[in-house]
Amino acid sequence: MNTSRPEIYLDYQSSKPVDPRVLDEMIPFFTEKFGNPSALHKVGDIATDALEESRREIAKFINADDDEIVFTSGATESNNFALLGYMLKNKRKGNHVIISEVEHISILNIAKYLQMQGFNVTRVPVDRYGRVSIKKLERRITDQTILISIGYASNEIGTIQPVAEIGKLARERGIKFHTDAVAAEGAVDLDVKRDNIDLMSLSSNDIYGPRGLGVLYIKKGARPNPVIQGGGQEKGLRSGTENMPAIVGMQAAARIMKKEMKSEVKRFRGWRDRMIKQILEEIPDSYLNGHPQGRLASNAHFRFDGIEGESILISFKDEGISVSTGSACSSKTLEPSHTLIATGLLHEEAHGSLQFTVGRFNEDSDIDRALEVVPKVVNRLRKLSPIYKARK
Amino acid sequence: MKSTKYSEKVLDHFRNPRNVGTLEGDDVASGVVGNPTCGDIMEVFIKVKDDRIVDAKFRTFGCASAIATSSMTTEMVKGMTLDEAMKVKRDDVAGELDGLPPIKLHCSNLAADALHEAIESYRRKESGEVDESECDDIAQTEHIVSKTEFENNGLYRAIGDPTVFDDQRTLVIYTGEPSIKAAIKLTDHTDRVILLTCDKDIKMPDDLNTLLSNVGVKILYQSKLLEIRGDFEVERALIKNLDEDEEYELFIDAIVILA
Repeated sequence: MNTSRPEIYLDYQSSKPVDPRVLDEMIPFFTEKFGNPSALHKVGDIATDALEESRREIAKFINADDDEIVFTSGATESNNFALLGYMLKNKRKGNHVIISEVEHISILNIAKYLQMQGFNVTRVPVDRYGRVSIKKLERRITDQTILISIGYASNEIGTIQPVAEIGKLARERGIKFHTDAVAAEGAVDLDVKRDNIDLMSLSSNDIYGPRGLGVLYIKKGARPNPVIQGGGQEKGLRSGTENMPAIVGMQAAARIMKKEMKSEVKRFRGWRDRMIKQILEEIPDSYLNGHPQGRLASNAHFRFDGIEGESILISFKDEGISVSTGSACSSKTLEPSHTLIATGLLHEEAHGSLQFTVGRFNEDSDIDRALEVVPKVVNRLRKLSPIYKARK
Repeated sequence: MKSTKYSEKVLDHFRNPRNVGTLEGDDVASGVVGNPTCGDIMEVFIKVKDDRIVDAKFRTFGCASAIATSSMTTEMVKGMTLDEAMKVKRDDVAGELDGLPPIKLHCSNLAADALHEAIESYRRKESGEVDESECDDIAQTEHIVSKTEFENNGLYRAIGDPTVFDDQRTLVIYTGEPSIKAAIKLTDHTDRVILLTCDKDIKMPDDLNTLLSNVGVKILYQSKLLEIRGDFEVERALIKNLDEDEEYELFIDAIVILA
């Protein structure tokens, strides 16, 4: 193991560092600007101004109106809030919600909870690239369907969903459309008006803001019931004293992202395409997971016949590179990634996956180094494998 | 405890596995165990002389702990009599490695079982028993649960217009040589073709075999299609892994069962 080299981080989908510029803007809100926005005195007013200014900035980031932004504790809460809150509020109109087979676990689990409460949940399958088919989605709509929740892009395989088409279909059928946009933040230009989105979950950390903060965008007329009850903050939709340092942080993160996204995405795309090209060319029996074109610029996701992902991950760890895998062995449940399975992979295939996600603080040399290590790791593990047979 | 929090000994055996490889000969027997769900497959070979294991090798697909436990098992049993080796249990292997993360104690620690299987196979061989497989792919197709609406809506009894299969994840049930040829032909239209058989092996002419592996048809051995599932059209196949006696769903778009 080489300890002199700094760790190379290629797992930006799992966590991102806070941008130092974001941190600078947050710090005063821990100390001198510590006020509670609900307080009517001057210290409180300073907080109120910052709260509303933050709301404006974040609304701009997704082309929403200021009063459509509700702060939460993170995207998991936003997803729970959207599904549970909307279904409870509108249960007289219908009891059916459609999600997809490739949703984030926070959608899958709140959908299971809704099912236990007597709601009907349908999961629409995806094609081999992880894309929802509009035809299959449409066939599942019933007169009881009141909500469609489909993630903007996969946080695992990077496939981007046909969001505008889903939004259009939902609008035509009088159904509300929620999307968990966390994986797409900073990689895709988000526009709730263009895409006919009624509810959208965002996370602060995914744009290099602090953790512990998220947003639920709520279009007028798509109001859910509050899930967190208390002092009536956020117009009664989400109680709890506002987490001001984090809110100001997310505001700064959104402002910086809006400005820098274009050049950042271009850089990521270069790295991603280089990785995909070189790995598929150099390594026999290697495959790209997810859509070849319609994918996040930051995501390159592979599988290799005959080897297992946790072994790949530990081998990369030995080389000082942080990566991710969809293998069961690295999960808490020992189940392989539901997303990979939904694309039609067998368990043993899903286990052999390796995910690279690049981010703001990567450099060209990180990609060079990762590409150097991949063949070494794959070849070594294949030599140990009882199931790898090279094609003749 | 984090599932990847391994002892130094586990990491050492993962980084420098002992006894990797296979063994051949009349005095050799092997055992394979695996759990497709949690994703470990281990193959252990033993070479026996005068009832004593004189050499042991392994090959393993699985996580770091699966590789380390296989390596350690082969180290432990070299020199043991078959009776002694039968007494080596999973816990002994984990103990020799200074423990495993709790979640890894089962799936990733099957090397001792593979060893026992190898010993039993060796003893059966000594007593002249032969493993007979009982499996009839064509008879199996009679028992597949399906819906009439799937006919020509994802379920096909013949390859008519092959463009129907463009980009479709297709499962072909082995029913003899025509089904192999159909699977090969379909690879012109989709790069995802899976051939399923209940047997451990498919007997076919060498040239067909070479062609089949060159075009990248994935073969699922020891498997049985139990049920075709989907809303309105074919979307999932319920498959039974006969070796492990486990059922799982495979997401697909089309199934071919040649009549």
